[in-house]
Amino acid sequence: MVSPSFTTRSSGSRSRGAASRARRSLAGFLFAVPALALFLLFAIYPGVQVFGLSLFDYSLTSPPEFVGFDNFAFLSSDPRFLEALGQTAFYAIGTYVPALALALVLAQALSTRIRGMGFARLLYFLPLAMSWVAVSIIWRVVLHPEGLLNEVLQLDVNWLTSSASARFALVIMSIWKETGFFLILFLAGLSAIPPEVHEAARIDGAGAWRRFWSMTFPLLRPVTAVCAIMAILRGMQSFSPQAVLTDGAFGTEVINLFVYKTAFESARMGRASAVAVLMFVLLLGLALVQLRALRRKD
Amino acid sequence: MTTQRTLAALATASLAAAALAGCSASGGDGDVTVSFWTHTHPPMIEVYEQLIDEYEDANPNVTIDYQTIPNNEFNTKMLTSLSNGSGPDIINMDDSALRGDYIPKGLLAPVDPAALGESSTDDVVARYVEGTLAGATGDDGELYGLPSEFNGTALAINVAHFEDAGLDPDAPLETWDDLVEAGQALIDAGHTQAFSFLYLHSGWYSQQFQTLLHQTGGSIADGDEGALDSPEAVEALRWWADLAGGDKSVADPNATSREATVPFQDLATGTQSMAIVYPWSMDQIAETNPDTYADLKVVPLPQLDTASPSSRVYAYYWAVNKASKQQEESWKFVQFLSEHSEDFLAGTDFVQPLVGWQESSAAQEIPFIDTWGAAYATGKFDQVTPHYAEVQDAITEMVNDAVFDGVPVEDAAATASEAVTRILQG
Repeated sequence: MVSPSFTTRSSGSRSRGAASRARRSLAGFLFAVPALALFLLFAIYPGVQVFGLSLFDYSLTSPPEFVGFDNFAFLSSDPRFLEALGQTAFYAIGTYVPALALALVLAQALSTRIRGMGFARLLYFLPLAMSWVAVSIIWRVVLHPEGLLNEVLQLDVNWLTSSASARFALVIMSIWKETGFFLILFLAGLSAIPPEVHEAARIDGAGAWRRFWSMTFPLLRPVTAVCAIMAILRGMQSFSPQAVLTDGAFGTEVINLFVYKTAFESARMGRASAVAVLMFVLLLGLALVQLRALRRKD
Repeated sequence: MTTQRTLAALATASLAAAALAGCSASGGDGDVTVSFWTHTHPPMIEVYEQLIDEYEDANPNVTIDYQTIPNNEFNTKMLTSLSNGSGPDIINMDDSALRGDYIPKGLLAPVDPAALGESSTDDVVARYVEGTLAGATGDDGELYGLPSEFNGTALAINVAHFEDAGLDPDAPLETWDDLVEAGQALIDAGHTQAFSFLYLHSGWYSQQFQTLLHQTGGSIADGDEGALDSPEAVEALRWWADLAGGDKSVADPNATSREATVPFQDLATGTQSMAIVYPWSMDQIAETNPDTYADLKVVPLPQLDTASPSSRVYAYYWAVNKASKQQEESWKFVQFLSEHSEDFLAGTDFVQPLVGWQESSAAQEIPFIDTWGAAYATGKFDQVTPHYAEVQDAITEMVNDAVFDGVPVEDAAATASEAVTRILQG
């Protein structure tokens, strides 16, 4: 039986602890208030505004006029929007599926501890440290008809001035730029796998492919899922390489460039907002599907 | 703690004072700040900075806050800033943007004859060569700006290249067929970039297309219907495509420099033998590549129909923001600038088409002034439509389809025409 005095002391201590925790929580909340306020002001509020604006015809210089779902109706039959949507999907899949696969293979290769591997990793990370604009300007030289790519591959391709090749040129450049990003994540994932697991498998006679396919890859699934979500987001949000290299010409106009031009060059803010709403819904849907798939696997 | 509070109070007070000062362009002691934005063109900026110093010396209570905006961002930045009330008092904008957006949307103040030292707008109009103010005149007949530069279109040829090819640089290139003939001789002599259009951004595509369109007599749109599939517009596109890569090919468009920040790079570096030019571009080449400039000659633009010559003109105008609180001071500064047309002619080859400008001593100093004068005489302003930026994108895609992707000219024109209709009706 618990003595009354102990009970009283324990209860008092609990209540003091709870009060202290509440004070700490409040202090923590107060510290977060400035960041929260900025987030609400500059992220949530404009986001909500975009939803509203998508129902208006607004040209920046005259008052918004309510048009209901006209912007969405126009977009549903606008070839330029549909083409941009298709191009965005092409770019996202074309860039990020190979980039993820390449990053996984490279991570496996670079995770071995041999002399000079640190330098090799650095080389793969370098493109990641450069801005998209800088990379695009460098690749404009590489992709020139008399540039490095044609010279190395012994080709005669007008990479940036043909609808047949411009989208591939952007994909090639982006794979080069983005592989390093996923490489870091996969290397971190690989380093978290205990070496004993592989050791035991090796003793059991499992070959390199079997160890990778049956052990490494399943154990990397959480990292792979994060990479897949980030790949889709990065792919769908692409803007700079298309803006710098082709300005969206030759079938390379992606959704974000379409939104930018619609909003700020054509001053059709309502229509641009409608595209933003559609993209929000699409990305949310894709993220939910991925999360659900991940939960099921777990 | 007290010190901290005092510092905080001082910081807050100074911040508030700074904010209040920023909101007001006019100080209590009669000081006035007039903001003025232009695009970037180094020789022009030099002239403006010199004139601003002069104006501020003569008017100590006036400060001109002069900002330059990169050319490819200029329209976007100007339009967005005007829409949120942070735009400049004076804008310097081209006629396409003025007629397409700024005037119809009511963003500009009509000219103020009193501040310009005249008793009526008619007196202001009478200062300029007839027709040259059309680029800043609204459908209501009101005048919204004074011209800061008026550009005609001509052809620059590299005399040294012509001599290499055994061509007489003094023999006129009257027609585009003459240009093709000369171009093929230049290619045979090793000057493979004989003639090329500039493939920089949609503004450049559409202005060059309209240069050809003026000669074929076509138009971009008829009301809210696209007209790029009309026989005249298709003919203009066919000429462009043929010169670039068809039977009449006189250059490889893929080898043409596409750096939007440095137009006329290929002509300036002596890579290209012939190019469509404007007065300012010759001045730019004279500054950046004087050796090549010494080999260049400006001749009239070739024609499709020599009996009815036609070329393209465009202009930039000084205009005043309708929301400006300093309209009178702004127009006074514009008046000052317009009184220095000879400085612009001498410093940057900008023609301000005042009556009799061609006879001025500064004009007589400009090389090939007679050619430019003839170009102005046959010049037409471009057709401008609502949502012109989108229409320019449609023209760009049409040219890219026909020139780079080998799409038949009729198909490219039909697709673009449908796009224009959708833009105008959408």
